Amino acid sequence: MKKLGFGFFLVLLAASVVFAGGQKDADDGTVRITVASDATWPPMEFVDATGVIVGFDIDLLNAVAEAGGFEVEVQNTAWDGIFAGLANGDYDAVISSVTITEERQRSMAFSTPYINAGQVLIVPAGSSAKNLSDLSGQQVGAQIGTTGAFEIEKVAGVTLLTYDEIGLAVEDLANGRISGVVCDSPIAADYVLQNDNYSNKLQIAGDPFTEEFFGIAVQKGNAEVLEMINAGLQVVLNDGTVEDLKDKWLR
Amino acid sequence: MAQIESETRAQITVSDGALIPDRGESSVFSAWRISFFGALVLVVLLPVLAPDPYLEILQRLPEGIARTFQVTIVSILIALVIGLITGLGRISRITVVNRIATVYVEVIRGIPLLVQLFYIYFALGRFLALDRVVSAILAMSICYGAYMGEIFRAGIQAIPKGQMEAALALGMSRAQALRFVILPQTIRVILPPVGNEFIALLKDSSLVSIVAVTDLLRAGREYASTTFYYFETYTMVALIYLVLTLFFSKIVAIMEEKLNHDR
Repeated sequence: MKKLGFGFFLVLLAASVVFAGGQKDADDGTVRITVASDATWPPMEFVDATGVIVGFDIDLLNAVAEAGGFEVEVQNTAWDGIFAGLANGDYDAVISSVTITEERQRSMAFSTPYINAGQVLIVPAGSSAKNLSDLSGQQVGAQIGTTGAFEIEKVAGVTLLTYDEIGLAVEDLANGRISGVVCDSPIAADYVLQNDNYSNKLQIAGDPFTEEFFGIAVQKGNAEVLEMINAGLQVVLNDGTVEDLKDKWLR
Repeated sequence: MAQIESETRAQITVSDGALIPDRGESSVFSAWRISFFGALVLVVLLPVLAPDPYLEILQRLPEGIARTFQVTIVSILIALVIGLITGLGRISRITVVNRIATVYVEVIRGIPLLVQLFYIYFALGRFLALDRVVSAILAMSICYGAYMGEIFRAGIQAIPKGQMEAALALGMSRAQALRFVILPQTIRVILPPVGNEFIALLKDSSLVSIVAVTDLLRAGREYASTTFYYFETYTMVALIYLVLTLFFSKIVAIMEEKLNHDR
């Protein structure tokens, strides 16, 4: 009886190794990769009313996979551990409105850029602030570890408050606890213009003040996955799919 | 003359175990000493030996440490007060008071602390503008007050019935008996679990980062998320939490020893 139990335990252990993250080949030889995304960033990646992860990035990923001839599985992962997981090999890639920056390029590899967004400032409706320096001496929120947070830190006199999710920062802004929120322009547009809860309480101040190119992040040294993604991305960028997606999600 | 042999009563001590030294222990290498001074040495040595990134990390953390201290100490004091009132309420003979206290304990113990933090700051925040640190402290005090209430109740009920009976026989009212006879003895009994709760609260204080209060853990996360030095950052954060908790557990041990001087 004990031997049976031990043997069963070994089988269970072996089975769990098989299901660990990483590339798998399906029966017909197609490669399947796992991609992580912080699905709290509408309209780029978010969870819709039925619980499915949707968004611009998700549609783009599916298009890239189809063009590149591989399969993808999206995993919802909290933002501020997402790069640690990538470095560990918990998943193969990250698509989550990741801006390509020099610091990030030191720890991970990026695909070709697929869209240019910019950071934009959201303020309460009726506020006269036009940019971050107008909010000197006040508190401005952003999601922890995003380029929005980095931008706020660069401005002297403005206090940065970091939130686990951008939605919490926007909620605080709508309740008047903070004076502004900095995030990517598509996300700002979604909250201020599309979201019924906030559309009459918030406004976007000024134009995007940075140039941010988003890329798909891959573990440094994982040339195979990077090439697959870049090949698919090349096709998608050239055949107008990206423009269609922008019309669908960002306008 | 009959000889009365005195028995040494088996002593049941509730304590943090190996970390709190016994009275008779005089070893230089006690578990507490190894852990505390080991952690302290590492906190000092790592930034000296590898300033990049450990010194940078150490420079980013003091604001978080101060905030963690503030939240923990204020919360524990308020929780003690709430706990005392709740504990007395739970043993009260007035039905209304008893019911309120029981409902409070059951409801608050049934909801996770993180949910309570969210609720008090974001949900109530639509109606009541509360400063984020105030609402964080409030949420922690309310949550731990419920647990303290049960500790106080257990402590009061642990005092032998004879004490209350003797006090009543001497002509005290129940309230006077509680105040002058029972509660002073309760303090000695509940000190170990209160010490436990204090240390648990110190570690749970890291949850206040959800309402954008920069505590020790949050300060570390903010640094790690920009530089990707996850291992080094969390090593320093863990060591500093360890130093803090060991320091407070030593204080609790000293208090216990002072109160147990006759045993």
